[in-house]
Amino acid sequence: MDHVKLVEDPIDIAHIHQLLADEGCGASSVFVGTTRDNFQGKKVVSLAYEAYDNMALKEMNKICSDLRTKWPELRHIVIYHRLGNVPVCEASVVIAASSPHRSDALESVSFAIDQLKTRVPIWKKEIYEGDHNSEWKENKESFRPKRSVSNFNYLACPCKAEESPDEIAAPQKLVQIRVNDAELAKRVECFVNSKRAEINSQNVIDFKAEDKDLSDSCARTQSSIIKQEKSNCHLKVRRVNNRSGPQQMAFRPNYELELNKLMGSRDFVTDPSTEMKKTLHNSRLQTIELYMGLAAAHSDESVFSRIKRVEDRILQLESISPEYRHFTNLEPPSSLAPTLPKKMRKKSYSAQELGAFIQKLKDGDRDLNIHLK
Amino acid sequence: MPTDGPVVNVHVLFFAKSRELARTPRSEVDVPAQIVASELLEQLVARFDLTSIRDNLILAHNETYIENLSDKIHFKEGDELAIIPPLSGG
Repeated sequence: MDHVKLVEDPIDIAHIHQLLADEGCGASSVFVGTTRDNFQGKKVVSLAYEAYDNMALKEMNKICSDLRTKWPELRHIVIYHRLGNVPVCEASVVIAASSPHRSDALESVSFAIDQLKTRVPIWKKEIYEGDHNSEWKENKESFRPKRSVSNFNYLACPCKAEESPDEIAAPQKLVQIRVNDAELAKRVECFVNSKRAEINSQNVIDFKAEDKDLSDSCARTQSSIIKQEKSNCHLKVRRVNNRSGPQQMAFRPNYELELNKLMGSRDFVTDPSTEMKKTLHNSRLQTIELYMGLAAAHSDESVFSRIKRVEDRILQLESISPEYRHFTNLEPPSSLAPTLPKKMRKKSYSAQELGAFIQKLKDGDRDLNIHLK
Repeated sequence: MPTDGPVVNVHVLFFAKSRELARTPRSEVDVPAQIVASELLEQLVARFDLTSIRDNLILAHNETYIENLSDKIHFKEGDELAIIPPLSGG
């Protein structure tokens, strides 16, 4: 059975146990949320809870049905939440479940309290000792407003830097930013992007260890950013998973040599790293050819004729499916439009006009001749 | 509330911080029968002095959350609309 209630009086835990009792159950799990007596050094006297009653009950019942879908073995579920004034150290919420085996009861209760904090419309206000103003709390899990990205207009979010000299000065190296959520999201995104670019450039340096000219590099490597443990903001960079670059050749096992040894053969002993180096400059083009479904090139074929075949293939693909270009994430076609060759305007000339034109050319010729004389 | 199309009267409910800022737990408001949630929220924020918490408000229409503020809401006469600040139950 599901027992869902909003109550004004203290919650009796013994009563909850009675509700859970079932002969077929080997486990009952009870979570009791109690009110804390302090927040950021302020002493909390009591807490005031309020709810959007009907919707809260509806959401609590929804949690019960979610639990039953996820853990079909559950027998009884209890979700009680207290409203009104709750003195510190008293239970404000109780979630309990019974089931034949313990894992269902334990896991479901933990899931249910997270869900409750996320979506049940209940609010608490902490009332502090002394002159501190009471404060509405916010669960970090709380459901937050979402907007579709397409409708999100960063430009419409003004960025104002506010300065308040009255407040305690922050350490010099720290910068305090007071902006709205949208602006903050934008800044975080920009920061991530710039970090990404920085890492990419580092990767290029690593990849081209010997050659310091980075301007023409198109080195491709895999890398990822991971957050440092227990860190608030510093990013530890784990970079370059360089599996096929020229520096890695020395570390590769010499398969051919090993195989030849096994076969007792002394023929064709080659160093694979030199082989690889020979083909490396072509490997990217080979990949493209493979991807484009083109036959493997002969080793003596010129690079230019191979590129030409790739170009022809792209043209063919574009002609049979024009939407192909939309997947390549290049500039939108509208911006390309001005660079298209201008259409030649055809004009018909009468015989008379042509005669006049020829005459003009002849005259010009004569003038030129005169000039030369 | 300025509109072009048909208008219906709905009950607007306020809770916690939004109730304190609006200085009322409920109000009746004429709203367009069809409106994008974020537009409606903008109008309500302006009308009920909720600017300080505007970025954290959620709407619930007839006791169901509007998951995405870019969605369109269709109102009927007498519908219930709740202005919900960040939750703090538990």
